[in-house]
Amino acid sequence: MSLLSIRDLHATVGGNEILKGINLEIGPGEIHAVMGPNGSGKSTLSYVLAGREGYEVTRGTIAFKGKDLIDLAADERANEGVFLAFQYPVEVPGVVGMTFLREAYNAKLRYLGKQEIDAMEFLKFVRSRAKTLNMSDDMLKRAVNVGFSGGEKKRNEILQMAVLEPDLAILDETDSGLDIDALKLVSDGVNELRSENRSMLIITHYQRLLNYIQPDHVHVLAHGKIQRSGGKELALELEAKGYAEFSEEAA
Amino acid sequence: MALQPVAKLPFEGLIADARSHKLGKWHSKLSERALEQYAEIGWPGPKTESWKYTSLNKIASGTFSLAGEYSAIVPEDMIMPLTCPRLVLVNGVLNKELSNLEQLIGNLSITSLVDIEDHQKMFFDDLFKSEESKGDLPLTYLNTAILSDAVMLEITEGSKCELPLHIISIGSGNGITFAPRLIVNVGIGAKVDFIESHVGCSDSAYFSNSVTQLYLGDNSEVGHYKLQNDSRDSSHISLTRAVIDDGASYDNFTMSVGAKLSRNEVRAHLKGSGVECCINGAYLGAADQHIDNTTFIEHQAEGSSSREVFKGVLDDTARGVFQGKILVHPEAQKTDGYQMNRAMLLSDKAEIDSKPELEIYADDVRCSHGATVGELEDELIFYLCARGIDRESARRMLIGAYISDAIDEVKNIDIRSSIQSVAENWLKQNLYEK
Repeated sequence: MSLLSIRDLHATVGGNEILKGINLEIGPGEIHAVMGPNGSGKSTLSYVLAGREGYEVTRGTIAFKGKDLIDLAADERANEGVFLAFQYPVEVPGVVGMTFLREAYNAKLRYLGKQEIDAMEFLKFVRSRAKTLNMSDDMLKRAVNVGFSGGEKKRNEILQMAVLEPDLAILDETDSGLDIDALKLVSDGVNELRSENRSMLIITHYQRLLNYIQPDHVHVLAHGKIQRSGGKELALELEAKGYAEFSEEAA
Repeated sequence: MALQPVAKLPFEGLIADARSHKLGKWHSKLSERALEQYAEIGWPGPKTESWKYTSLNKIASGTFSLAGEYSAIVPEDMIMPLTCPRLVLVNGVLNKELSNLEQLIGNLSITSLVDIEDHQKMFFDDLFKSEESKGDLPLTYLNTAILSDAVMLEITEGSKCELPLHIISIGSGNGITFAPRLIVNVGIGAKVDFIESHVGCSDSAYFSNSVTQLYLGDNSEVGHYKLQNDSRDSSHISLTRAVIDDGASYDNFTMSVGAKLSRNEVRAHLKGSGVECCINGAYLGAADQHIDNTTFIEHQAEGSSSREVFKGVLDDTARGVFQGKILVHPEAQKTDGYQMNRAMLLSDKAEIDSKPELEIYADDVRCSHGATVGELEDELIFYLCARGIDRESARRMLIGAYISDAIDEVKNIDIRSSIQSVAENWLKQNLYEK
């Protein structure tokens, strides 16, 4: 059975239809990449999956672990195991990184009907995860993302993912704005989190990130629909030829 | 041409009543003089510049009587949550049974005007006179004219008060007015923290016109923290005035959450050089609350610094006012002044009026000010929700963080966390998703 099953998904933003019939099946442990030109609906797809307000599903279904996601609020989806790593992580003034992680972690435990975690135990757990991503204690003591560099923000996203241990991670343009060293660090962090129980949906414009995080399947999204699907060789083909052939179909 | 009848001053009738009250002849004279000064300035109207954004019409046209009852039950859930010695005023009069001052003896002397003979009161004359000679503050004169008590705190030279003193001013009764008056004299090199909690008994609706005056001796260190949590149908108008000598440090914070109409006016006169002065505050308003924070910082001598951070959150049709003036005299070279006012509006109908003002006559100074108004961004809420935190908690967390940024300015750590918990309670009780 698929972990995520998207069927004939249509969605509008501000009255404009952006997604026009998406079909996508992601099995447990699989890594899928969705590539496409700017304005193709890639980020919309990630927001629709995460449940952002203002992104309205007008037709179709999204089943996650057999449950209908559409009726769940964003926080419920997160607690069910959907994680969105933001293209532009938001600065959260006044909320300390460690507190934020603990609130999120405990929210999930409460959702699952479990006891909240002991603060000291949690601190140790987070530190061990932060170490892999080369994140200092100081970064955890600061307000979330406030004054962080682009690379630090992206690493912080991956740290949150490592702590919350989702079943499905959606990485929205995680490579944007990263230099080669930061890209490698982030990719290593993501690869560390690969497991047979964790699926990933990598949304990217460029093939570059896929050199570091190797996908099982690649899809081309254009004009609100998946136009082509294939293996990782499809990404290389796109890198060579660009998205030109998909823009012609617009007419 | 017919002469216009002379409009009667608000509260004029009550002033006569107050004279036959408990403070005797001495107060009669003081009151007469205060009435004259009050009459000269008149009641602040819409044309009075410093009251442009806050209308006192409702108070002026209301019917008030003087309080006659001076005992009450302390509303423990309204005051600042702190375990320390207490001084309790009910309707402006010291209530010794409710106070608990045993642990303070030695450091601090407390005198209530009610307790002393007329000839001893003469000693305090100057304190009232010197206060009245400064500026046109009609409500301060009104306070002097109708007060039923005044409490003097004297912190002797060099003494360090280990525990803070919690002054609780309780309003109890409907349609009454009262005038709490505190006079704090901090000796050279002394150190003290005190808190004012202004609260009301449930369902009381009153007008509290409060005045606190402080004198900070050379190199003294004073923390002065105020919670305005008066009954929701009441009015709270207050003046805090601090005169600060060489090398002293004054840390002032006002947390305003109560009353229907409130004005917290803080005036700091930095007489000495090398003074460190912080006038900070936070305000939380919902429903039809009106909260005014007006500050005036006067740099009179060289090399002093002042810092001002105010943050507010306003919901429903609540209205906030911030007026902050910094005046730097020609002698006050090397002044360092900073002022910031930020407000977050949670509804389309909430409003903030912000008026910063710098008046600088010295050339070698560093002064800056700024003001911002914003809303809680959807993007921010979504970010927290996407991490599993529900919308309501996310809102509360973000607004709490916004306000705590100002509360973090409070230097005393215990009092800081008490103020935090007041803010958290307010958020729990007042913020619902609409």
